[in-house]
Amino acid sequence: MVSVADLLVDGRLPGNYFAQDLYVRGSTELGLLENRRGDRLLAIPEPLLQAIYAGLEKETGQASGLVLYNCGRWWGKNFYARFCEELADYYKQPLANLSMAEFLQSLQQCWKTHGWGQIHLDIAYRDRGFLGVEIWHSPFTAAAPQGQKPSGDLERGILEIFFTQLTGRELRCVQTSCTAKGDDCNRFILGLEKRLAPVEGMVANGQAHQAIMQTLMQQG
Amino acid sequence: MTFKLDALFNSPDKQYLDASDLSTLSQYVSSIPERMAVYRTLRDQEVAIMQPIADALQQQAGHAEPLVERSVRNGLMVLRYAAMAMLLDDDGFVADRLQGWLPEMVKAYETQVVDQQLFQLLYQQLGKVFSPAQLNLLKPSLEKAQNLMLNTRETVTLAGLL
Repeated sequence: MVSVADLLVDGRLPGNYFAQDLYVRGSTELGLLENRRGDRLLAIPEPLLQAIYAGLEKETGQASGLVLYNCGRWWGKNFYARFCEELADYYKQPLANLSMAEFLQSLQQCWKTHGWGQIHLDIAYRDRGFLGVEIWHSPFTAAAPQGQKPSGDLERGILEIFFTQLTGRELRCVQTSCTAKGDDCNRFILGLEKRLAPVEGMVANGQAHQAIMQTLMQQG
Repeated sequence: MTFKLDALFNSPDKQYLDASDLSTLSQYVSSIPERMAVYRTLRDQEVAIMQPIADALQQQAGHAEPLVERSVRNGLMVLRYAAMAMLLDDDGFVADRLQGWLPEMVKAYETQVVDQQLFQLLYQQLGKVFSPAQLNLLKPSLEKAQNLMLNTRETVTLAGLL
């Protein structure tokens, strides 16, 4: 029998930890923007993002994508640790006990509340060992220079390390569509390195996301 | 702070509140004792209201225990947020806090059918505990939550991933 009293551990009913009006707060007197745990948040103006892209391009040229990708991996590693810590604290249980639905929904809300756009996971290719990620309204690629190649290197780095740590397997991430080259959103594919190898070539040849996925599925 | 009153309190840089603004304020203030009474009942009777619903879902409707558990959890959450929204006279509160969360959980655990029945039973239960006038205070936010949960738009189902 379902006992309602037993469902309420300490009377708590954890819900949307990252709800925007709860998560972001601040002390205007001290000039601080903080999250609900009191960790400092930072708002970045768009011109600063544009300046980072332009400065990197000027100083490092072709390497700028690689620099951003590595920054993304660094950021993602810390983001994963902090994200897990916050959730474990909030749910008052080890993260391993949290259901995947709650974990991933929290990730979507977290992404949104931080202003990084809307992240959606596409699990249609799960059986083939790929995970698709879509990011809509990304502020990062919106500030990136327009071009023919995907420029979501920062996000690529974050996602790669995030899901590598989540799954405990060394995953690679490739971006297959990008708003900076006129696509509707940023799409990424995550998978094992050897299986993703052909994708990088297809992206370099300018193939669209759909075509790339079709080829991948036919490979079996 | 309630949505309607927020707008009132944000206006002093323009002018003094007029008669209709003040009447909105006084209507809200005079409704507070009733709102608090309903709130206290919901708080103190939380388990007593929900347990018969859980029993009915399991015994009469014959739903599986894990499904009933998920659905009852949803019901408890809705009731708590609806109670707060009622206290604040702000149905926007329900949407702000539950959107992007509860509908996704409903989808992930596929509790739509059970949730639908749970809401029917919940209205019956609340009808026993509250007067029609008290129920009317709760209804807007409950209906909002119900719509939010049961008209889920197509996004990604997360259950069973990885």
